[in-house]
Amino acid sequence: MCCEPLPCLSFNKVYRSILLAALVYILLLTGLITLRGEFIALAIPFVLYLLYGFWSAPEILDLHIERRLSHDRITPDSESIVTLTVINNGSDLEELFLEDRIPPHLTVRIGSPRHLILLPKGSSYTFSYTVTGPRGSYSFETIRAVATESFGLIRREQTIQTTERLFIFPEFRRLKHVSIRPRRTRVYAGSIPARVGGTGTEFFGVREYQFGDSPRTINWQVSARHEENLYSNEYQQERVADVGVVIDARIHANLFHTSQSIFEHAVTAAAALSDAFLNQGNRVGLLVYGSYLGYTLPGYGKVQRERIMQALAHAEVGASSVFAGLEHLSPRMFPPESQIVLISSLVDDDLNVLVQLRGRGYQVLVISPDPVKFELGFLPPSPQVDLAARVIRMERDLLIRRLERAGIHVIEWDVSLPLDQVVGPILMRQRRVL
Amino acid sequence: MTLIALISSIVICCASLAYGFAQRGFTSFSIWILIFGAGWLFAVWQEWKWYSAVALFLATVASAFGLWFGFTPGWMFAGGIFALFAWDMSDFRQRLRLMAKDDNVRGIERRHLLRISLLALFGLFFASITMLVRVQFTFEWGVLLVFVILLGLGQLLGWLKK
Repeated sequence: MCCEPLPCLSFNKVYRSILLAALVYILLLTGLITLRGEFIALAIPFVLYLLYGFWSAPEILDLHIERRLSHDRITPDSESIVTLTVINNGSDLEELFLEDRIPPHLTVRIGSPRHLILLPKGSSYTFSYTVTGPRGSYSFETIRAVATESFGLIRREQTIQTTERLFIFPEFRRLKHVSIRPRRTRVYAGSIPARVGGTGTEFFGVREYQFGDSPRTINWQVSARHEENLYSNEYQQERVADVGVVIDARIHANLFHTSQSIFEHAVTAAAALSDAFLNQGNRVGLLVYGSYLGYTLPGYGKVQRERIMQALAHAEVGASSVFAGLEHLSPRMFPPESQIVLISSLVDDDLNVLVQLRGRGYQVLVISPDPVKFELGFLPPSPQVDLAARVIRMERDLLIRRLERAGIHVIEWDVSLPLDQVVGPILMRQRRVL
Repeated sequence: MTLIALISSIVICCASLAYGFAQRGFTSFSIWILIFGAGWLFAVWQEWKWYSAVALFLATVASAFGLWFGFTPGWMFAGGIFALFAWDMSDFRQRLRLMAKDDNVRGIERRHLLRISLLALFGLFFASITMLVRVQFTFEWGVLLVFVILLGLGQLLGWLKK
């Protein structure tokens, strides 16, 4: 929470009663021992205070609490309004403290999740507050209700378990079209050239006229050169493909100077690309490669989009040095000869693994957020920094050149610019490049 | 409102005790009581939550001490009762911090102040009555008091065990 730390509610309530009771007994005992009525007289206000406290002590709480979220899926810059309605089914409550325990990292923008109210029997109270926060998945688990009498001597507490969840998905701008050309496509019609002749929009070749071919497809120029036969144009079939999006969540590839992380940009790119591939009708899977392998099995459509967004909301950087195990990808997750899109700032050790993947027939595309420019933005300018940046830049260029020589297309992304502006046009052009 | 009530009660408590002590020539005690009162106000400013409990105990001891030595009972009772008032107010002030801006702070404050003020008045009234109507402290009264104390202590122990 952004607001001040939560004040301690308990104030040692039990000790308040004990202190008061102790004072009363000391005064009464002193009065008894010394046979002086003044002490007993002095004890009277304290006794009255204690008696009133015990007499008006709240009964066992019987509260019904409902929580509603205006939106349970938001982006980091947007807000969700949390509304709580409390119904008192028990006795009158003179002071009822309600605290909606919001998950850490969420920030309250308007209103407060804590209220101190008077709630008579059978009445209800509704309050709202707005929350926002960074990308993640947050569960609102408990609401704490503490009732005390006016003097705060006796208290009853009830913790209500709830199950609401708030997903804060990465915010991204939609990519209009991403051109990929994996070697193998699926049987369903889509937008990816399938390297197979048939019906489509792009010219594929010329073959002998077959019965049933539309007269429009007859290539008259070729047919004129061959008197005995007619020839028809053949177009490239367009189908959907399997696309595996791999997001690099290794610490040493994401965390840089003063714990600045490039990972959020990688997540944004993964979200935009997954969304684009799914919109094109492809079968998309996600692998978050951090301290463990977080798989989202391939699927189609809106449900898969939701699954991927949830996985991206949970994604965190983790400790793993190299892409160990990536060369042994499950065929279920990444069918052979399918398209793999890796989002990684790339480190030297990755070369061999990526070349191996390429060697196994995968079409590999790397979107690489530029770590050199990213880190330079946080470092004070100096000759040493410039020199180091040049050295690292050269190493990185060499790595990228080696990858491209192996048939892996690498797109560098300066994260200070939006993905759709920098990478989008290149991805759209790829249809012609590859 | 609560802060004004708290500060007023601390001032009245310490002033009553100090005046009561000074009347009988215990000037140095009076000065110490005033210093203690200033400390209490400082604790309110610094938000030392523990101070009010200590202050209540010390103020009650000072009142009992004054009554033991036969100082004017009115000042001593006022000291004890307003110490209780201030102790309650400092706790109530902390509870009020839990309230949101749009909660009915005024309403809760008004209700609480009314109750604690009535209680203080009743306490003062009963104490004064007790002082006026001096009942002979008989053996039976003693037995009754011992019984009440033991019963209360038993309850307290049982409660603590829970």
